[in-house]
Amino acid sequence: MFILNPQSGVPIYRQILEQVRRMVASGQLPPGTALPSVRDLALRHTINPMTISRAYSILETEGLLERHRGRPMTVASQARNHSQLPKRLQQIGPLVEQTVVAAKQLHLSEAELLKDIRREWEQNDD
Amino acid sequence: MTDATVEASNLSKSFGDKQVLQDMSFGVSPGDVIGVLGKNGAGKTTLLELMLGFTPPSAGAVRVFGHDSYSLPGDIKVRVGFVPQQDELLDQLTVGDQLRVIASFYPHWDSALIDRLCGEWGVNVHARIKSMSVGERQKLSILLAFGHKPELLILDEPVASLDPIARRQFLEQLLTISADGERSIVFSSHIVSDIERLANRIWILKEGRLDWQGDLDSLKESIVRLHIRSTAPELPAFKIPGVLNLRRDGAFATAVVRDWTPEAQETLEKNASVQIEVETLGLEEIFVELHR
Repeated sequence: MFILNPQSGVPIYRQILEQVRRMVASGQLPPGTALPSVRDLALRHTINPMTISRAYSILETEGLLERHRGRPMTVASQARNHSQLPKRLQQIGPLVEQTVVAAKQLHLSEAELLKDIRREWEQNDD
Repeated sequence: MTDATVEASNLSKSFGDKQVLQDMSFGVSPGDVIGVLGKNGAGKTTLLELMLGFTPPSAGAVRVFGHDSYSLPGDIKVRVGFVPQQDELLDQLTVGDQLRVIASFYPHWDSALIDRLCGEWGVNVHARIKSMSVGERQKLSILLAFGHKPELLILDEPVASLDPIARRQFLEQLLTISADGERSIVFSSHIVSDIERLANRIWILKEGRLDWQGDLDSLKESIVRLHIRSTAPELPAFKIPGVLNLRRDGAFATAVVRDWTPEAQETLEKNASVQIEVETLGLEEIFVELHR
């Protein structure tokens, strides 16, 4: 479910936060979806369980996940509404900035970059 | 902090007139997996031996389950497990004999667990210890420390001779042990990628002092490399709090800092009118930067 890289400079709990937020915002994880347990994730990826619980707790505080006694955590029923457009834009902000900086270093024009993004967008639709 | 597994205050150790550890204070709580990093000679083994009570501190104190580590009562000692850097196996025995010798010291020895792990790790109970490779001996010393299900497991470079597959099996077993959140693990290793997977907390030893201690997550958030650029042809003069290394080059600069926060970035960008891109660093990179 997650792509986790322990050797990255981005702490694992942040990698989980970003991926869950993105997947919930995009509807890939619809409300009610069960998340893997902390123990399962820790053993599957061979990573410390505490960093996973930390991510889950933050996501619960944000209202994205719901905790249930004796059952796996699920995506909250209101989760998608929680994530309004400005917030979702803010999440993609760093990626946009990086892309623009790289495009300028490559002397690409705004039009050329936008055209490329549009092509990528359409390919991703099918 | 009465239920702390380990508690050390102002711990120091000298051998003769050589000071090995200086003024260390730290704690280990149930569920912690602590990765101990340090160059050769930084004092890692001495630190672990003080926790195990092999040697008394020169100053300060270290308490394990509430007892002074140098005079641990027997019923507390059985709650601790240790894998030494140099194994202490008896060459003339077979694996099975060695396991039985150690098991006899412990009333709660889990032979089902050890039998299962012997199978999974490919440890032949009939093999004679003197004919085993360094890696096989290491596996066996790890098993000897697991069998009594210690609440505090201390490992000194346990995996230096294991191949990547055996190391991964060992990591998985340590995670299983720590997953109940009640037991604690302290382990030193030069294999930074293992520590990055397993540890939730990091101790970095440098010249006998605890140079950094805290969550691995916080470590990666607070020690970062900054790429700084100015719109002017020359960078203005500025001061970065907690800077470790700074290189200026015309309108650009790169700096590695400790104690980095988003607020520090805002302040610096505003006061010095520069743009900053933050590059996060893996643990190995952080370790190297702390030693430049």
